[in-house]
Amino acid sequence: MEPQSHNPRHDTASKLGDTLRWAFELDQSPALAGATWLTREIIPDAKDPFDAILAADTSLDALRELKNAYKMLRTTGVTAAERSLAARLYAATIAAAAVRHKTAISTQNAAALKRAYTELAEDDSMPEALRDIASLALTSQPPEPR
Amino acid sequence: MTQTNWDLIRDAAGSTPTSQASLEEVARRSWPAIYAFIRASGRSPDDATELTQGFLCDVFLARGLLGKADQSRGRFRTLVMGSVRNYLADMHRRKTATTRRPKHGSIGRLDDLSERTSEPAGIPALTPEAAFNSRYVASIIRTTTERLQRTLLEQGDEAGWEIFRLRVLQPSLEGTAASYDEIAPRFGLGKGACAAKLLLVKRRFAAMLMEELRATVDDPADLQSEVVDLLALLSR
Repeated sequence: MEPQSHNPRHDTASKLGDTLRWAFELDQSPALAGATWLTREIIPDAKDPFDAILAADTSLDALRELKNAYKMLRTTGVTAAERSLAARLYAATIAAAAVRHKTAISTQNAAALKRAYTELAEDDSMPEALRDIASLALTSQPPEPR
Repeated sequence: MTQTNWDLIRDAAGSTPTSQASLEEVARRSWPAIYAFIRASGRSPDDATELTQGFLCDVFLARGLLGKADQSRGRFRTLVMGSVRNYLADMHRRKTATTRRPKHGSIGRLDDLSERTSEPAGIPALTPEAAFNSRYVASIIRTTTERLQRTLLEQGDEAGWEIFRLRVLQPSLEGTAASYDEIAPRFGLGKGACAAKLLLVKRRFAAMLMEELRATVDDPADLQSEVVDLLALLSR
């Protein structure tokens, strides 16, 4: 395939500036920036990943897509902090689906899920509401997969 | 790896077996921005093309700008823009507009370069500096995009390239992005996994773009201020 040709009429300063800005921010950003960007790709008006997972109106399908995105970020994140955050968010989406939708969106076994929920519930770097949902998932009846 | 502009300049100014290729590469990278500056200075498209060729031949070669250039002179962008400004003032004084050819050496593909340089709309309405900076950044972004495409396809990651093309390039060129619902099934991915893959590609693009920009400043620590300056210049 030949390199993509550009229509120069669209090379406006603002678009160039936008590209330059996001490239620079992505290159320099802290762990949360990648997860936030991913979250907004799935739920465009979400403030951040925590907001998206905790919002009462986040659908089961959206939680499932968020889970898949964070799952990939767990292994592809560029820093240990980003991969660690992604692991917490991954557990949080599964917990939110279990607590609010009474649905299992993961095929992980019960012991692995319990460990992930426990680590999230005990992680004081995470927002309290996110830790609470992990605690609730720990004490809830295991949901049925759907 | 990106060869820095300064590496190319040093090689182009020398007499190594690769000097000619380096000279052509410097000219290829610089042409659009130089042309835009001259065009926005009020010259017609034909005059701007001729003056761009003249600058590259007279200043890059005959006056040995490349040979004089060294990293202590700072950013490649400001060096070239300042040199074009001086060249135009010089030409204005001389009132000459004949096609120039270098006494020593040549840039063999200048005509090819000018043919490939279509003129973006609105250049004459910009200040020369704004036109230069806009085309300068556009050239770097285009170079980076081509490099990203080559790299991904060589690695067999056609899905990564297509997702980037449809979600990032297409919106910036045509204003509309393909939805994940359209794209993801083509590659056997869910929406979340598709977005995560795009994040990886965008990060690669960002790293490559910063590498290209870093190659244009003498001190890598100047990258941040160069980006800040370019953003400010583009927003004017």
